Amino acid sequence: MAKMKKQEEFEPKIVVFACNWCSYAGADTAGVSKIQYHHNVRLIRVMCSGRVNPAFVIKAFEQGADGVMVSGCHFGDCHYIFGNYQAKERFEMLKRLIHLLGLEKARLRLEWVSAAEGGRFAQVVNEFVEDVKKVGRSPLAPIKT
Amino acid sequence: MLDVGRHPNIELLTLCQPTKVEGEEGNFRVQYLKKARYVKEDVCTACGICAEKCPIKVSDDFELGLAKRKAIYIYFPQGVPPVYTIDPEHCTMILKGKCGLCARVCEAQAIDYNQNDEERTINVGAIVVATGFSQLKPTALKNYGYGQYANVLTGLEFERLLSATGPTGGHIIRPSDSKTPRKIVFIQCVGSRMAKGDGYPYCSVYCCTNSIKCALLAKTHDPDIKEISILYMDLRTYGKGFQELFLRAEEVEGVKFLRGRPARVEEDPLTRSLTIMVENTETNRIEPLAADIVVLSTAAIPSTGAKEVARILGIEVDSYGFFKERDFHNPTEATRPGVYIAGSCSSPRDITDSVAWGTATAVKALTHMEGARIAQKEIEVEPIDTSGEPRIGVFVCHCGINIAGVVDVEEVNQFAQTLPGVVYSARMLFACSDDSQREIQYKIKEYQLNRVVVASCTPRTHEPIFRETCGLAGLNPYLFEMANIRDQCSWVHASTPKEATEKAKDLVRMAVARCHLLQPLESRQMPMNPDMLVVGGGITGMQASVDLARLGHKVTLVEKEERLGGRVKELSTFYEENYDGQQLISEKVKQLESAGVNILTSTMVKEVNGFVGNFEVTLQSLQHQEKTSTLQVGSIAVAIGSDLFNPTGKFGYSSFPNVMTNMEMERLLKEDSPELTRNNKESKNIVFVQCVGSRNKKDGNPDCSRYCCSVAIKQALKLREKGAQVVILYRDIIAFGKGVEELYRKARGEGVIFLRYDEEHPPQVIGKGRATSIKWMFSPLNQEIELPVDLVVLSVGMVARKVDAEQIQEQLKIPRSLDGFFMERHSKLGPVETSTEGIYICGCAQSPKDITDSVAQASAAASKMAVMASKEFVELEPTTCVVREDLCRGCGNCQEVCQFHAPELVETPEGNYVSRINEALCKGCGTCASLCPTGAIVARHFTDRQIDKMVEAMLTGSL
Repeated sequence: MAKMKKQEEFEPKIVVFACNWCSYAGADTAGVSKIQYHHNVRLIRVMCSGRVNPAFVIKAFEQGADGVMVSGCHFGDCHYIFGNYQAKERFEMLKRLIHLLGLEKARLRLEWVSAAEGGRFAQVVNEFVEDVKKVGRSPLAPIKT
Repeated sequence: MLDVGRHPNIELLTLCQPTKVEGEEGNFRVQYLKKARYVKEDVCTACGICAEKCPIKVSDDFELGLAKRKAIYIYFPQGVPPVYTIDPEHCTMILKGKCGLCARVCEAQAIDYNQNDEERTINVGAIVVATGFSQLKPTALKNYGYGQYANVLTGLEFERLLSATGPTGGHIIRPSDSKTPRKIVFIQCVGSRMAKGDGYPYCSVYCCTNSIKCALLAKTHDPDIKEISILYMDLRTYGKGFQELFLRAEEVEGVKFLRGRPARVEEDPLTRSLTIMVENTETNRIEPLAADIVVLSTAAIPSTGAKEVARILGIEVDSYGFFKERDFHNPTEATRPGVYIAGSCSSPRDITDSVAWGTATAVKALTHMEGARIAQKEIEVEPIDTSGEPRIGVFVCHCGINIAGVVDVEEVNQFAQTLPGVVYSARMLFACSDDSQREIQYKIKEYQLNRVVVASCTPRTHEPIFRETCGLAGLNPYLFEMANIRDQCSWVHASTPKEATEKAKDLVRMAVARCHLLQPLESRQMPMNPDMLVVGGGITGMQASVDLARLGHKVTLVEKEERLGGRVKELSTFYEENYDGQQLISEKVKQLESAGVNILTSTMVKEVNGFVGNFEVTLQSLQHQEKTSTLQVGSIAVAIGSDLFNPTGKFGYSSFPNVMTNMEMERLLKEDSPELTRNNKESKNIVFVQCVGSRNKKDGNPDCSRYCCSVAIKQALKLREKGAQVVILYRDIIAFGKGVEELYRKARGEGVIFLRYDEEHPPQVIGKGRATSIKWMFSPLNQEIELPVDLVVLSVGMVARKVDAEQIQEQLKIPRSLDGFFMERHSKLGPVETSTEGIYICGCAQSPKDITDSVAQASAAASKMAVMASKEFVELEPTTCVVREDLCRGCGNCQEVCQFHAPELVETPEGNYVSRINEALCKGCGTCASLCPTGAIVARHFTDRQIDKMVEAMLTGSL
């Protein structure tokens, strides 16, 4: 019977860089409120979305990430005033960069999630996972042997 | 408990009972009886061998008789102090001098059968009473069959079944046959809201929300539990977020809510299953409801022995036996000066309010002490050598059933042991409990762990606790890392335990990977400015300012209006008191003036810079726009209050002149307006509509506004005195505070008519020019009713202030909840703190409240600020950025991007430019580090290498 099992659904690997004050807290709120979302994401906490060096994102893709999301505070809410504006600027650059690498733009996402928005955190994660599932495994992902 | 056990200023006297209190505020002499423990507290290591060997089994009080304990025991495993006790009523050595086994097996030689009770005395300046409440034993209420039928439980017994540390390890089973129940029925108000018989007339406050929580836990914990019903009278989900919890239970989890108090519970003697006879409110018929378990939400009653405590302390009790408050606006003061009351000993309260109350008593108690300072901890521990290869310890937390109910924690633990550098790994039931904290310290020393990972919950609340624990064991606190396997795994992937476990393993691997690269850091000290700022001059802000200024602090109170007093100053006579809002405010103003508060009216906060202990605030005068001033303070309280919901366009408000808000009614009552009195013997018909802009998904406040039911009842009573006919249209009467249920009953007795409406069918106000009648679907009779009206009063909810709250949010960088109110750090652990240290919230700025709850929370915020100000220095995170000057080429990008002016270009002796970061100004966001073209800037604790390593560990599985 086990052999009959249909091919397993593609489960993407997704890295989320979340700022400590808003988005990581928003993920906590999702937890406290028990709002369920796709399990494919792994959070990396940084103090500010402005801390996310474009090189982190590129390295993540190099090592086989199927998608990368950077998540920070809404404009005006940044704990460090303009860190999220910096994140936005770099995101624009990153979009062009991953295009050069031959990656679909659906694989990179920037989101603003506040500490209170547990539901929104779950929603953007779910949307992102679905989007990445549509474009499939990253061409840079190591081929499973 | 951990904090209490650890705090250098707290001396814990357990097994003690006061016997006599002499003296007065500022100088009490308290005699107390220290009961014999028969175990030396300072010697016992809580190893537990004594209890293992003890041959005597006794019913366990903590488990409410659902389990057994030994005659030498620890009340519950996470208890503080962690010391065993001999129960002299059951120990055969104490009773008959036979046995002595525990003394023989105790390696520490802590057992002492010859201990006697001792009379001791202690001198104190103030006394805080927090003796809590007891639970009504529902055996007296025979119709529910408690004590007769095995499967009828109390709410607290059910909580023990849900608890991972409980008698069944967190599995819900029927006591009669140990099978999983399929149907559970909760019965609310068992012994509460009962005017006759063996119950109590008041509302026990917490039980509605508690039953919803239990229902949700049961439902998500065990898929075999198919049906849960809650039988209630009014659903009193009064607190912040409670309505959301209710909606989740009803709409998402399918918990059934049935209105009605059942007459009786019957048992089938063969199956031991139960039948509840209850009125179906849809059909208005009494129908049987089947249940495998019935849970009785029993009343909270004054704690056993409360009257004796009151006698010894010389304080008064109310007619039920709860401690009496001085008055409604001094709710934390007992009737004897210098004695303070907190939590449920004065009236039933939930955890959130109890924590606020408890915190509030601190600032009151401080007024009797001079120059209180936090004692410096003198830790003498051998520092752990951190120079060699990483020796990592991993502790995987069950969090009761919160994590272990979904994630296979043993698999995570086994996995952790395979990771490079991990020399020790173990599971813990609650990693944050006192016993686990000692265990972690012990393991750090035993294994010379130089890195620690705790896989549990969020670092945002628990990292400080574990860091301190590492510090106590001699390990640099920055060599600690958390993996959040609760909020990011078990709680959000409950239906896919396999994937949740895989994710937990990934998170542990990532944490261990990062741990390899962590560096020890030393925290910085900055001077603490003891001055304070309170924003908002309503009753809340005034109370916080008075409390702080009375301790001798320099306090500035800023109010944007011309006068202090907010909404309270508009209120007419408080019911059953003989003074009004204006008089209460005048009294507080006098207190402010005599305490020396710097009051600035017509003033707003324009800008805030700095950080805890060192804020610089720019204030702007609203009368002279060009006039600004600056102020240096160490902490800030936000007490900007709330707005009332504007009902324009609803229920005929603003179209008909005789439709008004409850605030406008308050003014009419204050003026004793002739509009309210009868003319030509004809009574006025006055109809109240409750929940206007409250508990409303679309507009206004999504939660209950807490104040409006009791205000409507009070206004109705006053209007009855004037001869009006009063009808109150409501969804649930949420009369939850002290004395409010009694007022509700009184109002019904006085002829105020209470009629229900449903959220889906709100009343319609009909009229031409003036409102003449009100019409709605009266669901209990399934019939439309129309009533003539002379006046319609809309009980409007409280909503967050819009512009002010937005400005404050931006200036102080403190988050707001989705409802627009400011967000507390933690609903139970930190109700007045924010995510930013040194900034506190209180009163209606946090969520709607009445005067009593607002002033209690104001005092709680004041307590936190007073504690902050008692420190000479504020410790700042060392997680700042630093420049490696050999790599810096002086481009100045960092200087440009930093909003805090931390980096500065300086000229080197060689004539080059390099950037240097002023650590006092750096906040550690790391934005400069990711912008630096040469990688010269290192963001400490979040270095490029540390982050890269986590990504690598996640994606490639390597370390």
